[in-house]
Amino acid sequence: MRPPFFFAVALRTPRVPEFSLTMTDSVQKPHSDSLPGDFAIWIFIFAELLVFGVFFLAYAFSRANNVELFNESQVHLDRVAGAVNTVVLLTSSYFVVRAVAAIRTDDSRRCGHWLGAAIAMGGVFLVIKMFEFAAKFSAGISLSTNTFFMFYLSLTFFHFMHVILGMVILAAVLLKARGGGYSAADHTGVETGASYWHMVDLVWLILFPLVYVIH
Amino acid sequence: MTTTPRLRPCTVIWLVLLALTGLTWFIGQKGTTGLGIVSFVLAVTLFKSQMVADHFMGLKHVRPFWRGLVFGYLVVVCSLIGVAYYVSLS
Amino acid sequence: MQYSSQAVAKPYFIAAIGLFIGQILFGLIIGTQYVIGDFLFPEIPFNVARMVHTNLLIVWLLFGFMGAAYYLVPEEAERELFSPKLAIAMFWIFLVAGALTILGYLLVPYSGLAQMTGNALLPTMGREFLEQPTITKIGIVVVALAFLYNIGMTIITGRKTVVNIVLLTGLTGLAVLFLFSFYNPSNLVLDKMFWWWVVHLWVEGVWELIMGAILAFVLIRLTGVDREIIEKWLYVIIAMALITGIIGTGHHYYWIGTPEYWQWWGSIFSALEPIPFFMMTVFAFTMVNRRRKEHPNKAATLWALGCAVMAFLGAGVWGFLHTLAPVNFYTHGSQITAAHGHMAFYGAYVLIVITMISYAWPHLHHKAPAANGRAQLFEMWSFWIMTISIVFITLFLTGAGILQVYLQRVSDTPLPFMVVQDKIALFYWLRLWTGVIFFVGLCLYVYSFFAKENKSLASS
Repeated sequence: MRPPFFFAVALRTPRVPEFSLTMTDSVQKPHSDSLPGDFAIWIFIFAELLVFGVFFLAYAFSRANNVELFNESQVHLDRVAGAVNTVVLLTSSYFVVRAVAAIRTDDSRRCGHWLGAAIAMGGVFLVIKMFEFAAKFSAGISLSTNTFFMFYLSLTFFHFMHVILGMVILAAVLLKARGGGYSAADHTGVETGASYWHMVDLVWLILFPLVYVIH
Repeated sequence: MTTTPRLRPCTVIWLVLLALTGLTWFIGQKGTTGLGIVSFVLAVTLFKSQMVADHFMGLKHVRPFWRGLVFGYLVVVCSLIGVAYYVSLS
Repeated sequence: MQYSSQAVAKPYFIAAIGLFIGQILFGLIIGTQYVIGDFLFPEIPFNVARMVHTNLLIVWLLFGFMGAAYYLVPEEAERELFSPKLAIAMFWIFLVAGALTILGYLLVPYSGLAQMTGNALLPTMGREFLEQPTITKIGIVVVALAFLYNIGMTIITGRKTVVNIVLLTGLTGLAVLFLFSFYNPSNLVLDKMFWWWVVHLWVEGVWELIMGAILAFVLIRLTGVDREIIEKWLYVIIAMALITGIIGTGHHYYWIGTPEYWQWWGSIFSALEPIPFFMMTVFAFTMVNRRRKEHPNKAATLWALGCAVMAFLGAGVWGFLHTLAPVNFYTHGSQITAAHGHMAFYGAYVLIVITMISYAWPHLHHKAPAANGRAQLFEMWSFWIMTISIVFITLFLTGAGILQVYLQRVSDTPLPFMVVQDKIALFYWLRLWTGVIFFVGLCLYVYSFFAKENKSLASS
């Protein structure tokens, strides 16, 4: 049995990866020590996490300076839509996990089905989000309304663009999977797309409570 | 005799994540707030995100360094959000 | 040199260095005018000399980029250049047009130049860095199109590598974004907004792609590290450069009349602009440390590493210093900007062009992988002299900038601009003398091209 994560960090000698980042180790051994998927996507993921992290903290500390404005404005958000979208993204992520599991058993067909389902859920997210945006715009809310809505629109729109990018990546993976481009032995591409998609999900998991719930 | 179909671990995680999302939403709907509630919401967020990182992204099976990096990121972000909330109370 | 058509790069490199010398001379003139206001007046007023200084910089860097592309693309595409004749023709057109424009600046009053060149038909003149007469701008577009056609055809019909594609993307972006210099709306806010589409999206967007591609090419050749590894780094670096750089344009929109949200967008995204530069530094050092061969051209390696470090310091660190809106509220348009501008341009773009020249020149001129040891020694000396000079120029300007911002903008009893300028004159003197040392370094660099192996030394 593995020790719980918190102990694991303390107990093991920290093996800082060589910064030489050959970026090819993952290609050779997909299930070992190294990150799933292509290493390059992980550099990208960490950079994206950094951008979102800075954005979240900018929101949080701006809020601290304008508590009343933020609380009053937040009331106008559609929390149900936000929660439903969280469910949609989590489910989509889950489908992607199933897609990776499928290709690990060499089942390209099933992998493709799960990927298709995941992309469809991404589409559902976009549609719900667009209704939300449309409602805000028709209420005359824009980036210049106030600091809260500036952040709300910027953050969600920036995330929205990431959902689109993630769907494009998944679609590319799906196309290759349909053509039998992946196998149990070689499916780095699937893991690469999956990792990115989970990041899009992860970011939303923080965004939802931060912008829609905490007040 | 029938065996109950066994759920995959990832399915269990998914269901747990959905339940926790429902909880967060419920807290939002109820409208109660305060340092305790917000800390709880942030702790739930931290837990959920780490679950996604561990089980969906598969960081549980790679060098602890990477998992630690993501965990560190989540701790810093969530706790600073908490700090900002604390500042806003005063 | 593997393909004879690569030789067209040679005149481009020579022109680049020649114009570089001119740029520094005019830099010395304006450096002097900062402290002796009527120096060379009325022959060369400050505004004209400054315009020549900045325009020459841009033109010689463009010559350098084009030369680099003509050298690099055939080797990457594994075929001769599509049309060497076109490349040479464009060289002369660009050089003559550039020289005429500079002469126009120097000999004719600017408004007269505008009249002579028919600016009224399509007004594009009068904006900082885009001062060129409209016909010169049209000439630049023609040259750029012919150039893109030439290397584009070479790449399309040859081997497609990541380096080639990234370079072509960067150069295409450069040409396309330049088209915004023809858009001159009468609304000043819109005018400034689109002006930055040329200026910012060049230096903090597409030029970074060009720089990344050239650096990657040189590192592949110098270190012998697998192309796949270097290409992956390149992908990640340019992705980061574009994500942060494009929205980072917002850090120029704080105080020009655009909506307030730009203060957030600009601050957040531009604060991350140092990341790609930092990655470039790590990339360059990692590749050199993991080199698979000892390339005889040590000077080129030094330029390449110096480029990565100085780009990070100048563009990354000095850019970050004043990129956040609350800081920029006080510092915009001060000597802090000048400090950043000098080190960033030198670190990122001057050094990448010299890196390429240093790598390519021995192949072009000596049919050898490296210049002789003595020539390389002079090159290395010139690197250190120029680089240390630019570091001090930057530090002096930063000192001047901090004082300026405090005395003129932060203090409870703000002083008028000219009074402050007098108070910080010491820094300008120091900057001027450091500039002279920079020029000495540059002369040494030029001399390195002619330095012969010292036989008695070599044998001992």
